[in-house]
Amino acid sequence: MRTIAIKLILLLLLPLLALAVYAPDAAAAAPAMKHPVEVEAPVICSQCHQDWKAAMDHTAEFGKLRHKFMAFQNKQACGVCHVESFCADCHTQEESLKPSDKYKGSPERELPHRGDYLNQHKIDGKINPASCMKCHGRQNNERCAICHR
Amino acid sequence: MKTTGKKTWEKVRGPAICIVSAVALLTLMALPSAANAATLAGNSHTYLQSREGTDGSNLMPLIEYLDLTVQDLGSESISLHFGGWLGYDVQDESFGLDKNKDKSIQYGYVSYRAKEHNAVVNLGRVMVFEGVAAERLDGIYARTDIAGGFGISVFGGSSSILNDEPADNMTYGGRLSHQSAGLYTIGLSYLKQEKNSLAFREEGGIDLWVRPVNKVELMGRSSYNADTKGWMEHAYYLVLGPFDKLRFNTEVSHISYEDYFAGITTNAFKLTPGGPLDPKEKVDILGEEVFYSINANWAVSVDYKKYGYDIAGSASYYGAKATFTKPKAYSAGISIHKMDGENERLQYDEYRIYATKKMDKLDVTLDLLDVKYKEAINDVTNAYSASVAAGYALTEKLKIGLDVEYAKNPDFDKEVKALAKVDYSFDLGSGAGKPKEGK
Repeated sequence: MRTIAIKLILLLLLPLLALAVYAPDAAAAAPAMKHPVEVEAPVICSQCHQDWKAAMDHTAEFGKLRHKFMAFQNKQACGVCHVESFCADCHTQEESLKPSDKYKGSPERELPHRGDYLNQHKIDGKINPASCMKCHGRQNNERCAICHR
Repeated sequence: MKTTGKKTWEKVRGPAICIVSAVALLTLMALPSAANAATLAGNSHTYLQSREGTDGSNLMPLIEYLDLTVQDLGSESISLHFGGWLGYDVQDESFGLDKNKDKSIQYGYVSYRAKEHNAVVNLGRVMVFEGVAAERLDGIYARTDIAGGFGISVFGGSSSILNDEPADNMTYGGRLSHQSAGLYTIGLSYLKQEKNSLAFREEGGIDLWVRPVNKVELMGRSSYNADTKGWMEHAYYLVLGPFDKLRFNTEVSHISYEDYFAGITTNAFKLTPGGPLDPKEKVDILGEEVFYSINANWAVSVDYKKYGYDIAGSASYYGAKATFTKPKAYSAGISIHKMDGENERLQYDEYRIYATKKMDKLDVTLDLLDVKYKEAINDVTNAYSASVAAGYALTEKLKIGLDVEYAKNPDFDKEVKALAKVDYSFDLGSGAGKPKEGK
């Protein structure tokens, strides 16, 4: 317990030290960063941006391929348009409804586990188990445990 | 002493989130001037589902998902964020026999955000996505840009996933990054997880995003397992385009099962010699996707992915898709894919067609999915589902919907699932900083 407490204190001190050195006057804080204009789907950032923001184009493969790299490197950019529950719809620790059940009215979204995935996962899971591991290896695996005891 | 400390820690861990939230709300209430400036916005999603369990039980869970954000909490730089769900069994044990499984706090934290330098400190149940870390912690997350294009983030706390474990657990780590805006971002990250004061996971990683010239992007990461002393994964993607109407995505990945499937919390990934997946297996994945936008509405794509194993035989997955999109009016798509594993048991064909149409306040969706297994499962080779979803916006903030799905598959001769839902978004205060609906 003591070790944990020391580590937590050190972790607290690090960002506070960084903020103390580099952050501006807190009293002059600005509103949270939000996209200045309303954006409608499909979100094609390159229609307006020609810099790195163009890489955020929400094209067909963005959901299943590119968005994870953006989030791992620059999650605050996601927060310009999305609230955190948008991530938690899929990246959850305990879930009672499949994302594809919650959003049946959005069939264009690349949501996993449509249809008979109970049987299909036995094939996909053997071909590429790492794809399952990303969401179910360490969390959100209550349903896995029903059979995989 | 250690046991006492452990019990104390376990007892306070859960309530700590509530206390943090309560303190924030009390602060809001205690400061009239601040309360006047504060805004509260969020979304409520209420679902009532009816479905049959594989054991014949009739399940009818009622689930309330709630997310809310309080902005300008006393100061414009402080906000409160919460997201979670609560379930109730209308019939049978929809959430299993464990009563702790009928609710979940996905996140709940107080956030301080500085005016500049992307400086953020989050305290509570936080979601951390930083390099090798994709964690949900009861603790702290902080990041800031520092001089010379460098950025630093640190996190630490108790993994909410391991809360049920009868032991202390602690996760901590961080990421140091450097970027040249628009050209590259490179990061070095580290994560260590302890369970009962013993190392459970220790990982390091390199993440990379490079855009050397316009329309050329390379992104990916490599993860190293310090416990098994081996590289878990190298996963890199090259994105080219759009060149006129063409866009190319190339994937190159390598995964070492022994190093990758470590520090797991489910037996599903406990690989054992002689089992269906050899723990010594290594796989190289090579994939290519080509997208072609015919015009503003129509697009087609083809994709191919090759799996090359050290021990098992190879496999491939390939197919094509066509989509039609007219914002706020229509969306439709048709796709066909084939999974071609080393034997008939690992092969299937997948067909899907969907369409959704929006008419003023009403939207209707039809989705058909058919999977043909090469080798029968429970004497069934053809599994299909057909779903119809309808939604109606009563007001700008209140929408109701009903989905019905009919399916036939190896587990059910006839499966009918229904889902009724009520979506409500709320916004109290000035409206500034109103979070968008989750899409």
